[in-house]
Amino acid sequence: MNLVINNKTYEIDSDADTPLLWVIREEVGLTGTKFGCGLAQCGACTVLVDGEPCRSCVTPVESVVGKQITTIETIEEDAVGKKVVEAWVEAQVPQCGYCQSGQVLAATALLKRNPNPSDADIADAMVNLCRCGTYNGIVDAIHAASRQA
Amino acid sequence: MGKILKKFIARLAILVVVVLVGGFWYVRHIPSSPFDGAGQPEAMATLEQGEYIARASDCVACHSVPEGKPFAGGLEMGTPMGSIFATNITPDKETGIGNYTLAQFDNAVRRGVAADGHRLYPAMPYPSYAKLSDDDVKALYDYFMHHVEPVKQANKPTTIKWPLNQRWPLAFWNVAFYESGTYKADSSKDELWNRGAYLVQGPGHCGSCHTPRGPAMEEKALTEADNAYLSGALLDGWYAPSLRGDHNRGLGRWSEEDIATFLKTGRNQHGVVFGSMVDAFNNSTQYMSDNDLKAIAHYLKSLPGNDGDGTPWEYHEVSVAMVRPGEQSFMANCSFCHGRDGKGRDEWIPPLAGTTSMLSSYDESAINVVLNGSGRVVASGIPDAYRMPSFRDKLSDQQIADVLSFVRSSWGNNGPAVTVDDVKALREHTHPASPQPIILQMR
Amino acid sequence: MNEMVNFLAGMNEAATSRPLNFSRRGFLGASLGALVLGVVLPGGTARAQAAGAVKPGTRVPAFIEIRNDGTVFFRSPFIEGGQGIFTAMAQIVGEELDVDPQNFTVECAPAGPDYTIMFGGHMRITGGSFSVRSSYPIMRKLGAAARQMLLEVAAKRLDVPMSELTTEPGVVIHAASGRRLNYGDLAEEAATQPVPEDAPLKADADFRWIRKPLKRLDVRDKSTGKAMYSIDLKVDGMLLAAVQHAPRLGWESGKIFNEDQVKAMRGVHSIHTIPGAVAVVADRWWHAKRAAEALQVEWKEPAADVTYAMPADFSTEAFREKLAATRGPGVDAEKEGDVDGAFKAANKVIEAQYDAPYLAHGQLEPPSAIARWNEDGTLEIWTPNQAPEMFQGVAAKQFGLPPEKILIHSPLLGGFFGRNFTYLNGGIPFPQAALLAQKVGKPVKVIWSREDEFLRDYFRPMGLVRFRGGLDKDGMPVALTADVMGEGPTESLNGVDPNKVDPNGVEGIVEKPYAIPNRHIVQIKVPHVARVGYWRSVGHSMNDFFYETFFDEMADAGGHDPYELRHKLVAGSPRHLKLLETVAESAGGWKRGPFTAEDGSKRARGVSMASPFGSETASIAEVSIEGGQVVVHDVWVAIDPGSIVNPAIIEAQVKSATALGLSTALLEEVVYEGGKPLARNYDRYPILPLSRMARVHVSIVESGAPMGGVGEPGLPGVPPAVANAVSVLAGQRIRRLPLSRSSLGV
Ligand code: FES
Ligand code: FES
Repeated sequence: MNLVINNKTYEIDSDADTPLLWVIREEVGLTGTKFGCGLAQCGACTVLVDGEPCRSCVTPVESVVGKQITTIETIEEDAVGKKVVEAWVEAQVPQCGYCQSGQVLAATALLKRNPNPSDADIADAMVNLCRCGTYNGIVDAIHAASRQA
Repeated sequence: MGKILKKFIARLAILVVVVLVGGFWYVRHIPSSPFDGAGQPEAMATLEQGEYIARASDCVACHSVPEGKPFAGGLEMGTPMGSIFATNITPDKETGIGNYTLAQFDNAVRRGVAADGHRLYPAMPYPSYAKLSDDDVKALYDYFMHHVEPVKQANKPTTIKWPLNQRWPLAFWNVAFYESGTYKADSSKDELWNRGAYLVQGPGHCGSCHTPRGPAMEEKALTEADNAYLSGALLDGWYAPSLRGDHNRGLGRWSEEDIATFLKTGRNQHGVVFGSMVDAFNNSTQYMSDNDLKAIAHYLKSLPGNDGDGTPWEYHEVSVAMVRPGEQSFMANCSFCHGRDGKGRDEWIPPLAGTTSMLSSYDESAINVVLNGSGRVVASGIPDAYRMPSFRDKLSDQQIADVLSFVRSSWGNNGPAVTVDDVKALREHTHPASPQPIILQMR
Repeated sequence: MNEMVNFLAGMNEAATSRPLNFSRRGFLGASLGALVLGVVLPGGTARAQAAGAVKPGTRVPAFIEIRNDGTVFFRSPFIEGGQGIFTAMAQIVGEELDVDPQNFTVECAPAGPDYTIMFGGHMRITGGSFSVRSSYPIMRKLGAAARQMLLEVAAKRLDVPMSELTTEPGVVIHAASGRRLNYGDLAEEAATQPVPEDAPLKADADFRWIRKPLKRLDVRDKSTGKAMYSIDLKVDGMLLAAVQHAPRLGWESGKIFNEDQVKAMRGVHSIHTIPGAVAVVADRWWHAKRAAEALQVEWKEPAADVTYAMPADFSTEAFREKLAATRGPGVDAEKEGDVDGAFKAANKVIEAQYDAPYLAHGQLEPPSAIARWNEDGTLEIWTPNQAPEMFQGVAAKQFGLPPEKILIHSPLLGGFFGRNFTYLNGGIPFPQAALLAQKVGKPVKVIWSREDEFLRDYFRPMGLVRFRGGLDKDGMPVALTADVMGEGPTESLNGVDPNKVDPNGVEGIVEKPYAIPNRHIVQIKVPHVARVGYWRSVGHSMNDFFYETFFDEMADAGGHDPYELRHKLVAGSPRHLKLLETVAESAGGWKRGPFTAEDGSKRARGVSMASPFGSETASIAEVSIEGGQVVVHDVWVAIDPGSIVNPAIIEAQVKSATALGLSTALLEEVVYEGGKPLARNYDRYPILPLSRMARVHVSIVESGAPMGGVGEPGLPGVPPAVANAVSVLAGQRIRRLPLSRSSLGV
């Protein structure tokens, strides 16, 4: 089967039910997408599939054939993604950083859908866990990125 | 089994009081078996034959416990009056069934009477096993006597107190609800249908869960002669859906192949086994031959749907606008696996759109699986790649009611809304499924 | 604090033998793909050094390498796990070296005697909020010495006296002639200079970077997925392994029912029985994981002498009852005044029992380890760790090798919170990786699933304390006793001395700042059955909750406002008084409530103080209760770490610690039944999500006291501040965490 990841086509030799996460990490070799829980609980594995946030640890690879998959590695090639990254750096959001690939992608998807999110919109959409508790920074950075528009 | 027993024993209590006289002889009497006088015969079947029928009958699910020895018993079934425990059916002479003759074994399996004459609780599905053929009973006996390790493990006494622990009134229950006689082929039907009917009614005891029960906790029907048969039932916090032709709450939209695939692999495009069906799949149905599964599917598809199933479900697009209660929970907790469109992911993650538990007026299965997650589906020895987590520690009763009400009213689903009280009641009486695959050994 | 040091040193005697481990290999990072750079050590001196001859923290080239472009590669004794230590190191060293910290590249130093710089050159760990405060003068000296070495070379090249030279960031300047030499051009020669012992340090007033809110060095890589953690690393020819652990610690595998079937699964290389687990080695981790889960293993009860084994009937609820039921005598942890007399004379006596559960670390990066046996007989390990020399010692012991044959790499940590110490008996994955690599003759990376992690974590101990307080006729507390039940993590890991208190067990209950004249605090030991370890802010994480909420009970019983009572009882300590007033001021003045907020919600505030890790904090939380659920709107924290390096990092750390404190106050609890933890993933062990985070407001007070810690101190004050506020609204005392346990029908 073929996968389109970051605008590149990869020939994939994985079982149909293999989680996209492990295809990305082990077969394609991109490690920015993180494994945190494997159970759709944490969001560390978030990628974008056709622009929507997707938890790759619970996405059978077969179900995303023919779709556009975007990982953190190329997020800055996207105008909104670029803005989010800059806001992240400016607000100094990450601590250990492990959750942040997922956070940046989730924030990018939110801002594409809703360029002007309220605090409540952010709380609704940003459901990825951060054990380092960088949540204040995440909210600040999303507001800042939104103002950049 | 908890719930059947609870009701059953409550009603039994009344019986005990009412039936004070009469039939002492009857209640102590040991029924006759075609194998009377056969003693303990040697090798009557191959290991494969015996193991196959033991699988088809799913003996292991009740008579073994995880971390326990195969068939040494111990599974607790709680009731408000106390607990009963599945017994040791290994061939240990002291604590198991090592001294059972073939006839005694037969009486236990097909008639619910133990060697010493005491009556078994119908938690043991002998009303279904009554249909087993003589050959299958022999094979089963052979299997337990010669291929199962004897294990010295005393049966745990029930914790039910006198007088409710009296078993003899069960004899009268049998008079009312038990049909003796093995399965009789219906000559108007083909061989495949008859094989399917035998497996479903007899060893498979599908009706134990899927047929509604009457006032004395008896299954309302034991064959397709009655429309109540396999028409869906609530049991122990799970709603076992109709296996009849109903479009919404049954198998109306499933092909014979879909059914066979489901029983063989635990999944198909309509759904994945969950709740108590996980045990039945893990330990039983997947071990059946392709032909037998085909027969079962063929038989089930012959059962017509019943009235009152509503207009057939059709998929409708829903746009999630984060305004209805439950929508945010759905997006945050459910959508990542089941999809924003409720369609699931191929056969790997089941859809929420159009599934029985989201269409049925019974909401127990939907609530239960959200509260407790589901056990691991182990197909051909390989645990599933994706499991349903438990949400009891993450979502409040209100949140669960909201999210399920949302799901049950989206994408064409038309299940009634879920109330907080329904969630609360189930929360208290159910337990989370193990995140680890549970594999019960047979030998 | 000393106990912690003792423990950590004691975990591994080999660590103190100071092996010389300075092979090039250790630095090359193999196929790490990250920084690959040869180390230029001064003329082979490193190898010539005899073990023990190195004075830790002095050899400049072991730490600082200036590249031709003037950027600096710095080997940090401490590991970065989000606390900003790499940036702080660059800031401190850069200050004296006169190089912009932004031009630093920092990595964690390998195991070796140069880096055991803590506590007079004994050891190193990244933990206990010790990093900056234990190394600040050493790092400054290193930077200053390196600068001097550059100046010496420059003086030679320019043929001027050194005293005529000055520096600007990255450049040596001879003002008189206007000549400038870049650091990069001087570096190679400078590295061969003897290290000066007396390089002058800057005056604080001249600081260019220290005390400034500098941006962190690692943030961009962490925002773009480029940061590499242990779990991301790869070495050539590596195989992947997953394990099925015994459901209870100490149990061992028996029969495997389906070994042949699992061997035939896709990608499976081999199956191995290892201590407490069965492992599957495969071409990819996903294949290994599915196969490991598929293994049908019979688990056998442990032998009687396996002291750490988990019994089949252990339950946390029963253990809690045991803590509650056990009575003294205990060991004195603090004894002051005449307690008996004070209680006799007291006008009012109150009593209460508090408890808090076991907690999981829940760092987001699941444990992993790569092990490779090299042809030269060395064993190379990449794994999350907070103490390279200890890991080295443990590996050396496991395989009977001299420590210098063990090369430890310390990649960035995806969160740690005390998780990555050498928890033996199955608490960490590197012994499995090393064993498997030996068995298969190839490098092996072991990854634990989240479920494995919840099964094998070493938890924050459960705690229970019984308090008794005596009040005089004015309602002022005059006597206090506390029975602190259980065991601290240090003694639990290191062996219990029945006659000695574990300071980590009682910290937060002893040495409180309040002027209560008569005190008797004892520790009553009850051994843990579940494995316990260090967890962010250690004993303080629960003890300050116990003490500070009981404090409010005393205040209420005596008819005092809890803030006012604290104010009175710290009146003699200007440092504490200032802190308390600062936090109240930043919160717009103290008010307890209940009061109605602008949005119409009914709210209340709670206050608390704590003295963790050499720093002082005061905290105020504002809460409401909505639908039976506690909502924490704002938390104000004033922290006084004595003196500071980077206020932005301090603020970030306090916010982070507050989030974790909130998480424990609201949600977290490890529950065992039947010898097994019920939670095996975040579904049954919820941690704080963004939607429940409070707005955190941090005030930093620099009192000039000796430098304290920063990473942990923000946490302990949070649970009591929240619980005290909730008590006001709920009309009931909160004596047990998490709050999700209490039904709050308000
Ligand atoms: S790893 Fe996918 S959600 Fe946690
Ligand atoms: S930054 Fe560490 S988990 Fe989010």
